Parts: sequence; structure tokens; C-alpha cells
Amino acid sequence: MTSTASEKRSQKPEQSAAGKAVDTYLIRRLYFFLKPYKWHLGLALVLTLLIAFLGPLRPYLTQVAVDDYISRRDPAGLGRLMLLYLGILMTETLLLIANTYLLRWIGQGALLQMRNTVFEKIQDLHVQFFDRNPIGKLITRTTSDIEALSELLSSGVINIIGDLFRIFFIIAFMFSMSWELSLASLSVLPLLVYATFWFKARVRVAFLNVRDQISRLHSFIQEHIGGISIVQLFGREAHEARKFKSINRDHTGAHIKTIFYFALFWPAVEVIASLAMALVIWYGGAQALSGQVTFGVLLAFIQYVRQFFLPIRDLSEKFNTLQSALASSERIFGLIDTENRVVDPQKPVYPRKKEGHVIFEEVSFRYNSNENDVLKNIHFEMKPGEIVAVVGATGAGKTTLINLLTRFYDVNSGQIKLDGVDIRQMSQHYLRSYFGLVLQDNMLFSGSIMDNITLGNDHIKRDEVHRAAELVHADRFIRKLPGGYMHRVTERGASLSMGQRQLICFVRALVYDPLILILDEATSNVDPDTEYYVGRALDTLMKGRTSLVIAHRLSTIQHADKILVMHKGRIRETGTHRELIRQKEGIYRRLYDLQYRDQVQPA
Amino acid sequence: MKELLKLNHLFYRYKGTLALGSLFLVLSNLFLIWIPVLIRQTMDRIEQIAGQRHLTFERAGEVLFSAEAGTLLALNTAYLVGAALLYGVLLFGTRQTIIVASRKIEYDLRNKIYNHLQKLPRSFFDRNKSGDIYTRATEDVVRVREYFGPAFMYTVNTISRTTLIVAIMFMVNARLTAWALLPLPFLAVMAYWVSRYINRRSAEIQQQYALMAGKLQETYGSIRLVKAYNRQEYEKERFFRESARYRRKKLRLDVVEALFHPMLLFLIGISVVLVVWQGGVMVMEGAVTVGNIAEFVIYVNYLTWPVASLGYTLNLLQRSAASNSRIQKLLAVPPETGAEPDTSPPRFEKELVFENVTFTYPGAAQPALKNISMRIRPGERVGVVGRTGSGKTTLVQLIPRLYDPQEGCIRIDGKDIRDYNLSQLRAMIGFVPQDNFLFSDTIGENIGFGKEDATEEEIIKVAEKAEVLENILDFEKKFDTILGERGITLSGGQKQRTSIARALIRKPSVLILDDSLSAVDTRTEDAIIRHLDRDLGNYSMFLICHRLSSLKHVDTIYVLDDAGIVEHGTHGELLERNGFYANMYRKQQLEEELEHI
Repeated sequence: MTSTASEKRSQKPEQSAAGKAVDTYLIRRLYFFLKPYKWHLGLALVLTLLIAFLGPLRPYLTQVAVDDYISRRDPAGLGRLMLLYLGILMTETLLLIANTYLLRWIGQGALLQMRNTVFEKIQDLHVQFFDRNPIGKLITRTTSDIEALSELLSSGVINIIGDLFRIFFIIAFMFSMSWELSLASLSVLPLLVYATFWFKARVRVAFLNVRDQISRLHSFIQEHIGGISIVQLFGREAHEARKFKSINRDHTGAHIKTIFYFALFWPAVEVIASLAMALVIWYGGAQALSGQVTFGVLLAFIQYVRQFFLPIRDLSEKFNTLQSALASSERIFGLIDTENRVVDPQKPVYPRKKEGHVIFEEVSFRYNSNENDVLKNIHFEMKPGEIVAVVGATGAGKTTLINLLTRFYDVNSGQIKLDGVDIRQMSQHYLRSYFGLVLQDNMLFSGSIMDNITLGNDHIKRDEVHRAAELVHADRFIRKLPGGYMHRVTERGASLSMGQRQLICFVRALVYDPLILILDEATSNVDPDTEYYVGRALDTLMKGRTSLVIAHRLSTIQHADKILVMHKGRIRETGTHRELIRQKEGIYRRLYDLQYRDQVQPA
Repeated sequence: MKELLKLNHLFYRYKGTLALGSLFLVLSNLFLIWIPVLIRQTMDRIEQIAGQRHLTFERAGEVLFSAEAGTLLALNTAYLVGAALLYGVLLFGTRQTIIVASRKIEYDLRNKIYNHLQKLPRSFFDRNKSGDIYTRATEDVVRVREYFGPAFMYTVNTISRTTLIVAIMFMVNARLTAWALLPLPFLAVMAYWVSRYINRRSAEIQQQYALMAGKLQETYGSIRLVKAYNRQEYEKERFFRESARYRRKKLRLDVVEALFHPMLLFLIGISVVLVVWQGGVMVMEGAVTVGNIAEFVIYVNYLTWPVASLGYTLNLLQRSAASNSRIQKLLAVPPETGAEPDTSPPRFEKELVFENVTFTYPGAAQPALKNISMRIRPGERVGVVGRTGSGKTTLVQLIPRLYDPQEGCIRIDGKDIRDYNLSQLRAMIGFVPQDNFLFSDTIGENIGFGKEDATEEEIIKVAEKAEVLENILDFEKKFDTILGERGITLSGGQKQRTSIARALIRKPSVLILDDSLSAVDTRTEDAIIRHLDRDLGNYSMFLICHRLSSLKHVDTIYVLDDAGIVEHGTHGELLERNGFYANMYRKQQLEEELEHI
């Protein structure tokens, strides 16, 4: 029973006519992001052409130097020519710098635009999308997938054009000097092309293997750091060390294989280049003796054959990056094309009066079409100013109520009316301006306490924040923090206690002064010191507001105007605490014994 | 930098290979340099022959087949091709020795790190972020390899090639050499500066990248809050700001990168200008020939990369040194200790005793266990219950010495467990941890993990006892089914049962189930406990469990609260006492009732 996990190989997808069509489609869509820079791109193209011309011009000048000045013993002329050479060199350098930077600048601009587009798209998508896709994956789409396009967008196509033109100009210069010698020295070209293709094909496979081996090695290490206790507890150190050794050996072996190909390829290219040079010397020497070419031409050719090799080698490299960049862009556009399931209506309806009157009418909901309903025929009403507590065991469907009311999800049947209007007919922005939401995890963002309270809403004034904080007794501890309200919250609020974080979330809800408060009370106990304040704060918070509370605190259910007892997706009992507690065989009674009774403190 | 010297013992093993590689490299440079020399000689000879008036050719073809000139050209060309081929072969040999050796050194070093990691105590893994440990064994090793491989090779190459070329240039003409070499120091300095700048800016970019990803994590992670408070615009602004900052930082790096290559070309270009110009003047003076100019132009090209790599290599060394010092620090952490192994493996025969055990996690204010005392006989079934965080898991983790208590001790048959050999102690224990960690391997391998050379029958037998056999046989590949990322994902219950089978195959004296039946339905749970009961007498069992009904049959139940034992006794006794346990039990019954409404 040996591990066969590594046997799986990534398979190369078949390239077909359809694949090509997809490529052009992707390129067209990518161009959308480059469009704002089309004039810059035009300029870059011109610069690229100039550079492609200037490079090969230099060896030509050395030919002139030898033939027209050195052999004619004209030092002054040579000086002038060399100054010209210098000028051209400087121009070429400057143009090259400018062009490289210009292309990078264009690329970074397009990437920025793309990143922001993806972010906006994701942020606007329906909440269920976030439930279905791991956050890590969404982050990858917004960052590294876009990063992978960097090369393609900044230099990709332009550089390929540049390389082609450079090859063209070199050949043109060579032929203008001596077509015979050109043919002679270019006769090694098929050899180079063959070597390059041979190498690319081998190294591609080898690299795929290296990538497999790296990921195998890395996942082994990662897994064994996580499971080190298991290895130690079961005394399998020796066994796992052997296994690691063999994976490590395969990894090294894969690398050594690519080393082999590189060790073969680079020298081969050098040898072929030298071969071309040998041909220049042999045939060119003969031509020089028969007076067909000059020494200057020989010198120029020696430089050309070296210059010639670079773009050819690079071209194949660039096609490869192009291919892998297209794969990334496919994923990105896939995301951009995701359909948003919760959208605003064409013509939003506004209620006549904004007072916070909620009615759930026969609402049913399921998360997936192939699953059972998590809510079945939910029907209830929340009058303005009423406190409604929802109780029930885990999985009873309490949180789903919140998700539906805030329109994180849309109901499958029935409707939810807010001040007489179906919430699907309101704009999401307007609908959510009703709510203040306090969730169980009391997540804080990195940033100052102030930012966490206002969430960047400039309409909220400082003293409003202070007043709200005083009301829920958060002011005292906030002021004690280093920097007070400007105290920077680190890593999701880890530096603050659970209770403190909760109070900050209360302040947030309070400054937004919502008509409807939606509260998912924390299950875990906060420290006794803050516990008292949390209770007081809640009273303040709920006063005069329609409140929907998933209750975990005894005092909440005792003060509620109405308690909805949820069980397995249905509302099974409704009433006040006093009414419900009397039903000895009721669900509420049992829930009360289970969850709330222990909270009764002996007076 | 000194840290790197510590690595030289790794070097030592491959000294022969590396010496051979260096020799190849020097020789290859020798042949490389022969090429321009041959070109010069040929051109000079051609000039001479052309000077001899009586030889006049009409066509190139005539020359090639002429006696003197033709032979000369053919011979020199043959030499040139020969030199090029030898150069190529030697270069191949260099890479095959030095770079391959560096990979082997990397292999050795990584094995060493992994083996060391396996010996480190649990507390080390609590103390350090797993990401950091991971980096040591992956990225840092790669960096150190660069010291042995590329850095070493480039250094030898730069030194040998530069020496050879400069020597031969001087032999030809000192003045022209000085002109040709003039721009090269600038090149070296620039390369050093640029690669340092690039490293630093890249680190900055990495940081900004992480910041951006962190922002995304926050926004995407609390999307409900963002939407509920209508904060999309605000979040957008915040992200756009980071995103724009990232672009700015990238562009700052791009400036340098955009400068580097053109400047390199520029400096080499300057070298060529100087050679042609000053060389030209010297040709007119008769000091050198046109062949020399051709030769020098090639030399300059040959020098470009070795000189530029000087700066690059220096940075490489700095980075390797930093990585290496991190690795050395890891290797210096002392491994877990235990006594020498006994000649005959110990067995649990009389009693397992906790004596006033107190344990505090490093850095914690409160102890996780306070004054725990208990006595367990062979074959006894012990239940451990209590709220989350009451110390149940810590209690059982002390038995295989994942942690050692600060006060009190644990004895098996009268002997402190710290006096046992660590692997012999652990060999007595079958542990089923809470997280049910399984490796991404086949199910068979995972179950067999509990025992060296487990046979197929044994694996099948324990799978049956753990009630997971049927599930496994339902899989298409049975026991060869691969788990994890590359394979299938087991359900929570299947994982737990596989993990139980893994512990059972060890035929342990002490079996520990840390909340290992929570995802298993009641019927299966009963079946498993029945199987375990049947084998009882062979081992004692610790059962941490939330479903109290499963504890009806255990011999003693220990109730933990707030790091101490508050009650113990049988299920019946504890109910009668009407305390903590009884209250918990009643609540669970209520829950169950609710389930059935």
C-alpha cells in the first residue's frame, strides 16, 4: 500500500481551434483595460521600432569606422564617427529606458484598473457567493491572478513585435553589406531553431515535473508540521523521515534533470553562435582575400551574429509567458462574468413612511435547490418599536431570518414587507439604511476605534460618537486606551477583550441610529466586569427601536415584547416570556431550562 | 556572513565534485578565450596574405581551394570550431558538477532540518508560527543553496574569466586594455547597487502586497457587515488607496529595472566605442591590427556578464547568510529528551497514577490543570467530562508527554513517565486526538500508520472494530483511496473512525479517545464501544466525551471544571449526587427531547 498521490500529473490541455478562438476573445477583453492607454501604446510602438533599428545600426558604424577611416588613416574622421556612435548609443539607451518605463507604467495602470474592477465586482456580489467560495480564493483572484498578467500587459505583445523587427533590421543590415556572407552565417539558423525547440519541449516537461515535485515536497512539509504530534505520538519518526527522504530525493532529481537540459542548452547556444562566427571567418576571410568584403564588414558580422541570437532565444520565452497569462485572465474574466443574484429593481419603490414595520409573509427558504428548506412558512410581524426575541436550538434557522431581512439572500417563496413594501422592490442601499447590525463575532477592522465606529461615514460627528460611547459605557475604557479614540486596532481587534469589542460594535450601531436593530447576541460569556455594562448598553440600544434579537441572554427574553420559538425551520410557539413559560410541555420551557435558567443569579 | 562558514562541512562532502567543476570552469574559459584569439590570428594572416601582391583571387571559392590561404582558413576555422565545442562540453561539465552538487547539498540540508523538526517538543510548535517553520525548510534552504550553487559558480567564473581575459588583453596591448576596461568598474558597482535596491524594494512591495491581501481578507470576510451598514463605497475607497499605493511602489521598482538593462548596454557600448576609436588610432600608428579590434570587441562582450554578476553575487551571499542564520537557530533548538530505551519494551501492568499534577501552558496566566490526582488500573475504563476549556484535552496529552507538568508527576507502574524512553512510552499508548489529523495518503497507509509493517489483515481487522470497514469498502479503490487535497474528503465521522482504527492497530496498553465520537451517530458509537469493551482487559481507556449517555458503562467518570477535578464516580453515583454532572446530564436529555419534537 504505497502512496500513489504523486502519480497524478497535470495534463496538458489539448490546443484546438476552439482554444484559439478563446484566446482572441480573451485578448480582446484584456485590451479593454489597455484602451485608455492606446496613444501611449502607439508611442511605445514607435519607440520600440526606433530601438530595434538603432541597435543593429551600431555594428554598421564600426564597419564604416574600419573601412572608411582606419584603413584610410583618418583619425579626425574616426573621431567624428565615434562621436556619432556615442550619440546613437546614448539615444538608444535613453529611448530604451523611456520605453521600458513607459510600458511598465501602462501595464501597472491597466493592472490597477483591473484589480479595482475585480474588487468592486466581488464586493457587490450576493452574500451567498461568499459562502460558497473560500475567501482565500477570492483574494487570489484579486491579487496574484492579476499579478500574473503583469508581464503580458506591460511588455508582452510590444516586445514580441520589437524582437521581430530587430531580427528584420539585423538581416537587412547584413544583406546590405554582403548577401553571400549573410547566407553563410545564417546557415546555422536552422540548427539554433531546432535546438531551441528541442530544449523548450524537454524543459517544459521537466519544469512541470519540478513544479509537481515542489508542491509535493511543500505539502509534505506543511502537513507534517501540522501533524507532527501524530508522528511523534505514533513513534513513526524513522518511517516519516524515510518518506521525506524519498520525496526530497525526487525533488532533487527533478531539479537535476532540468539542470541537465540547461547545461546542454546554454553551451549549445554558445557553440552554435561560435559556429556562426567560424563561418564568418572562413567564408568571410575568403571573401576578404578575393576583395568582395572588407575587414570592416567582417567586424560588423562578428557582432551581428551575436546580436542575432538574443531575440530568437527570447521570442520563445515570451510566447510561454503569454500562454500562462491567458490562463489567469480566463479565471479573472470568469469571475467578472459571475451573475449577481441579489440585484436592485429597475424602478425602486420607497415606502410612504419610514417607521420600521416588518412583516414576514409565509416565507420559505433553502440555501441550495437540492437541499431541504431551512425556513418553512415563516409568518410574523414586528410593529415599530417592538422588541422581538428569537430563540431556538442551533440549526433552527435563527440566523437565516437575519440573512433574509437584510436581503443577503432572497426568499424562495413568500415575501418580506418593510413599511408596506416588498424588500425586493427597494434599492439595497435604502433597505439597509434601516438597519443596525450587531453580529456575534464582533469583528473589528484594522484602523482606529473611531474608524471602526463610524466606518468612515463623514456625516457622523465626533461628539456624536463620544455621546453614544458614553451611553453604552464604552467611553471610559476607550479613553484609557493608548491614543483613545484614535487607538489603532490590530489584527481584528485581538488586543481588546471580547466584551470591549462588543461594546464598540454597540456604539457603531448606536451612532448609525437605525430604525431597526438586528442583534445576534454573543453566546460565550464576556468577562464579568463588562457583562454588567453590556446588559445596560443593550437596554439603551433597543429603546425606541424595532429590534430583532437572536437571544442568548435571559434579560433579553424577559424584556421582549414577543418571543418567536423556532424549531427545525418553523415558528412553533409565540408569546411573551410569561405566557410561554407556563406551557410545561412546550419547547420554550425546555429551551429555557437548557439555555437560560442557569443565568438566574441568586439575589 | 560568518554564519555561512558554518555550512562548509556540507560543502566538504562534495569537495571533489566542486573542485572538478571549478577546474572545468577554468578550462572552459581558456577555450572560450581561444576563439577571439583565433579570429585575430586569422584576420592578421589574411591581411598579410592580402599584402602579398602576387596572390589575387577573383572569387571566394577560389580562395577556399587555394593551397596556402585555403589551408590556413580551413585550419583556423577547424580550430575555432574545436575550441567552441570544447568550451561547450566543459561548460556542460561545470553545470553538471557544481549546480548538481548544490542541489545535493540542498537535499542533505533539508533532510537534516526535517529530521531535527521531528525531534522537537510540542511546545516548540506552539511557540512558533507554523508558517515560519515551514519557511525554514523551504525558502530558506533554497536561499542557502544559492550560496553553494550560483554564487560559487559565478565567483569562480568571474575570477577565472576576468583574469584570463585581462592577462591576454595586456599581452596584446596595455594601452588599449586600459581603454577597454575603463567602464567595467562602473558596471560592477551599478550591478551591486541595483540588485541591492531591487531586493529592498521587493521586500517593500511584498509588504504592501500583504497589506492589500489583508484588506481584502477583512472586507470579504465581513461582507455582511459591510453591506448592512452600506459601506461598500468606503471599503472601495480604502482598497483603491492600497491598490494605488501598490502600483506606486511597483513603479518605483520599475524605474530601477528600466534603468538597469539599458545602462548595462550603454556601458558595454562605451567600451566598444573606446576600443574602436583608440584601437583605430593605434592601427593607424601601427601598434595594433584590425584583428585586435575585433578580438577586443569580443572580449568586452565576454566580460559583461561576469562583471555584472559580481554585484548580483554579493547580494546573493547576503541573502543566503540571513537565511542560513535562521536555519542555524532552528537547528540549535534542543530536541525532546527521554531515557535510554529498556532492553525489553515496558508494559503497563499495575497502575497509572497522576500525583498532584499541575500544568500551566507557557505564557498563560492560569494553570490549565491544578492538583490533579487519579489512579487507573489496567483494563479500567475512565470517562472525562467537563465544559470547553476545563482541561480535559490537556489532561490526556500529559500521558504521552506532549507536555510535561510543572508540578507533580505521572507514574506508570511506579516509574515516572519521564524516566521511560520516549518512544517506548508512546508505544504503549493509542491516542485518538480531537482534530483527527489524517495525512494526505491512502486510507490503508493512514490506518497502518499506527504500526510499523502493519499487515493487510490487521488493517482490515481494526477498521472493522472502528466501524469504518464498510465505508472503506464502498470506495472504489477500497483501502487505496487517497485522502485529502488530491483525493476524497472523508466526513467528520469517517475521519474519527479511521483515526480510532489507527490507534487500535497499535494494540495499546492505554487507549485515549479525545472527543473522538462526536461526529458518529449513536448507533455506530454504541457498536464501537461494544467492540472496544470486548477487547478490554487488554487496555485501559480514557474517554473524553460530550455525549454523556455514552459514559453509562465506564468504570469511573472524572468531572473537570476550572482546571480541577470536581466530582468522580460512576454514572449512577454521580447522578445520585445531583451535582455538576447530573445537571449536565439533564440538559443533554432536554436537548435530545427537543431533537425529537
